[in-house]
Amino acid sequence: MIGEAALTEALDTLRHSFRAWLSAEAPQDWRATCTTHDGFLATQRAWFAKLAAGGYAVPHWPAEWPGGGRSLAEQKVIYEELARADTPRLLLSFMSTYHAASTLLEWGSAEQQARYLPRILEGEIWCQGFSEPNAGSDLANVRTRAERRGDVYVVSGQKLWSTMGQFADMCLLLVRTSSEGAKQAGLTYLLLDLKAPGVTARPIHQIHGDEEFAELFLDEVEVPVANRLGAEGQGWAVAQSTLSSERGLTLLELSARMRGALWRIADLIHNGGRGDDVGLLRDFGRLATKIDATCALADQFLANRIAGEERVGDASLVKLSYSRTLRDFTAFGLRLGGLRSQYHDPIVYGGGMETGNWMADFMNSYAWTIAGGSDEVQRNIIAERLLGMPREPRTWTLEPSA
Amino acid sequence: MSMTRAELQDAARGAFGGDELAVDRWDRVVEMGWLTMTVPEAQGGLGLGREAAGVIHSEMGRTVVPDPAIAQALVIEALSAADAVPDRDDLLARAMGGEVMTASLSLGDALDCVPDADRASHVLSVTAERIALLPLAAATITPRATWDTTRRLFDVVPGTGGITLAEGPAAATLAERLQQTLLLALAADALGGAAAILERTIAYLEMRQQFGRPLALFQALKHRVADMKTWLSAAEALFWSRTTDPAATLAEIGALKAHACTVYCAIAEDAVQLHGGIGLTMEYYCHLFLKRAMLDAVLGSDADYWEERAGRRALRATG
Ligand SMILES: Cc1cc2nc3c(=O)[nH]c(=O)nc-3n(C[C@H](O)[C@H](O)[C@H](O)COP(=O)(O)OP(=O)(O)OC[C@H]3O[C@@H](n4cnc5c(N)ncnc54)[C@H](O)[C@@H]3O)c2cc1C
Repeated sequence: MIGEAALTEALDTLRHSFRAWLSAEAPQDWRATCTTHDGFLATQRAWFAKLAAGGYAVPHWPAEWPGGGRSLAEQKVIYEELARADTPRLLLSFMSTYHAASTLLEWGSAEQQARYLPRILEGEIWCQGFSEPNAGSDLANVRTRAERRGDVYVVSGQKLWSTMGQFADMCLLLVRTSSEGAKQAGLTYLLLDLKAPGVTARPIHQIHGDEEFAELFLDEVEVPVANRLGAEGQGWAVAQSTLSSERGLTLLELSARMRGALWRIADLIHNGGRGDDVGLLRDFGRLATKIDATCALADQFLANRIAGEERVGDASLVKLSYSRTLRDFTAFGLRLGGLRSQYHDPIVYGGGMETGNWMADFMNSYAWTIAGGSDEVQRNIIAERLLGMPREPRTWTLEPSA
Repeated sequence: MSMTRAELQDAARGAFGGDELAVDRWDRVVEMGWLTMTVPEAQGGLGLGREAAGVIHSEMGRTVVPDPAIAQALVIEALSAADAVPDRDDLLARAMGGEVMTASLSLGDALDCVPDADRASHVLSVTAERIALLPLAAATITPRATWDTTRRLFDVVPGTGGITLAEGPAAATLAERLQQTLLLALAADALGGAAAILERTIAYLEMRQQFGRPLALFQALKHRVADMKTWLSAAEALFWSRTTDPAATLAEIGALKAHACTVYCAIAEDAVQLHGGIGLTMEYYCHLFLKRAMLDAVLGSDADYWEERAGRRALRATG
């Protein structure tokens, strides 16, 4: 019990010092400045630099990195306070600090870690180049080819839906180095410098009008062999680490943020004079409890991971729980917003999925039901990998219709 | 907790013998010392706390055990808190030794929903002003036939007399704690039941062949199962986090109970559907879980009640 009391005290201390830090440092007017891309980029870069200098940007990294080594409980405090202070979500560096970092930490050589991780802390932006026109849910179907010539790979092909791809410096790239054997066996994982000759990035308009992702065209791009993560042909396994970071760890922050954003709904209820509408209160209570359950699941996931007890498919539980709850959350806000939320207010770039622009938030919630493996793909993983139900038959034939 | 959650779970699962459902296990419950679990060591208990109780009630939910363990837990907790009552130690020892002492599983002042009153020596009466243990010798005990036959419920009109365990402000505090205990036990029962019927449903889908393949190969069914597993896992995580949080409020625990029961009902309902015709019979186990899920949902007040409170709380906390 004494240990617990000391722990609670340490967390309270962190909460207070971080809250004080935030009240001095958190950007104030970002909702107004982030309606243009330039404003968005400047705000994101400045905010990340401040957080990094303050030691709050990468609490989930290991202790040997500045700002890393925070316990699960400390991380939660940080995420909760970030949400409470209504700071911009670090959309621009999200892939760098989570996806890239966790993959590098698991697969990178000492040289690779020493080279790239400090650059991420300095603000280098990474994106993920997995998806292609014909490799979405069927990710193993990647066609972008990499051919080894001496100490470089020469890469040609097209990548799709790369979040922040148009602003990024580096790309986590999944390529095909062989067509022999199983589709997964021919994949290799490269770290691509997006300033290399032959790379073209073209932004794509998302459903709400923002350009959060891009298409990447790769034409005979040279990538040094030293930039390979894992062995040639091991790309699938490396990619699983990236995806599992996306499906598990990142959702700890996002779930805490969703809970932190419940005040937006409370505001709508108060402002609409509906604080005594019992039906509405019930729906709100149900939603709040569902969000708490999603947060508890994300916490448990991280605790299991730290204890080395993560099971295949656990990350999918967290992602599916989050994506469905986020859909409920944004849909509830949309419902309460009524006609007002159908007016096309300017969207705030990097506002996350809890900006209070409910139509934008609702449309944005699809980012989690589709991206990073769609809900249907997560359901397949849960049923087949976690629950051990039989796998889909691998081959099929089209029967001629009568 | 000195024994880990997993160890206790294994012990309980072993003791209940896994597959047999809706079988009286009172002797085992007593023999394993589970009635003493949350009682402090100084009073002859194991001093294990709520988390351990959660494991046991969830295991009882898994095999839809009919015994009055939840009611007994309420009596034992009330007795354990009644330091000033002269006969306390004797009564507590008898209750922990398996002499059935019962309590209402509703949250109201009336003594309805009282399990196993016909074989109990005492009933616990809980109001905000007074908590008392009443002898059942002179009471009127009316059985209430319920659809869920795994719990035997009675309406009780007690005679006069009885031992006051707490009064005034102390009674109000204890009443709230007893409500929490009841709600956590019901939530545990619901989550244990939900996990069990989900596992059984998956096993059935793997065994049952239609169109020349196991049903478990059909994605439409797999996806429903995956959704259920996801909601169940989140509800379980919430259960353990609130059970082990000493600061959890009554409203939070009520919302947890409502959530757990909603998940249980949804899974039990889908289980009937996914079993096809056999699911709609009394030959198979589905109905046991479905009926118990429906009863759990209304005991200790229903989801409407708790969700409204959770909504008000969230409004206050965040508005
Ligand atoms: C906002 C956003 C950001 C993204 N960011 C990135 C990024 O940074 N990097 C990157 O590489 N990719 C990114 N993606 C791509 C994303 O990973 C893919 O969109 C996703 O995997 C789905 O692939 P698809 O779009 O080709 O859809 P498809 O695979 O064509 O799927 C269409 C529909 O069919 C369903 N479906 C497909 N297969 C099955 C099946 N076996 N069983 C049942 N249903 C099935 C899907 O669930 C979906 O509903 C992003 C996508 C979005 C929306």
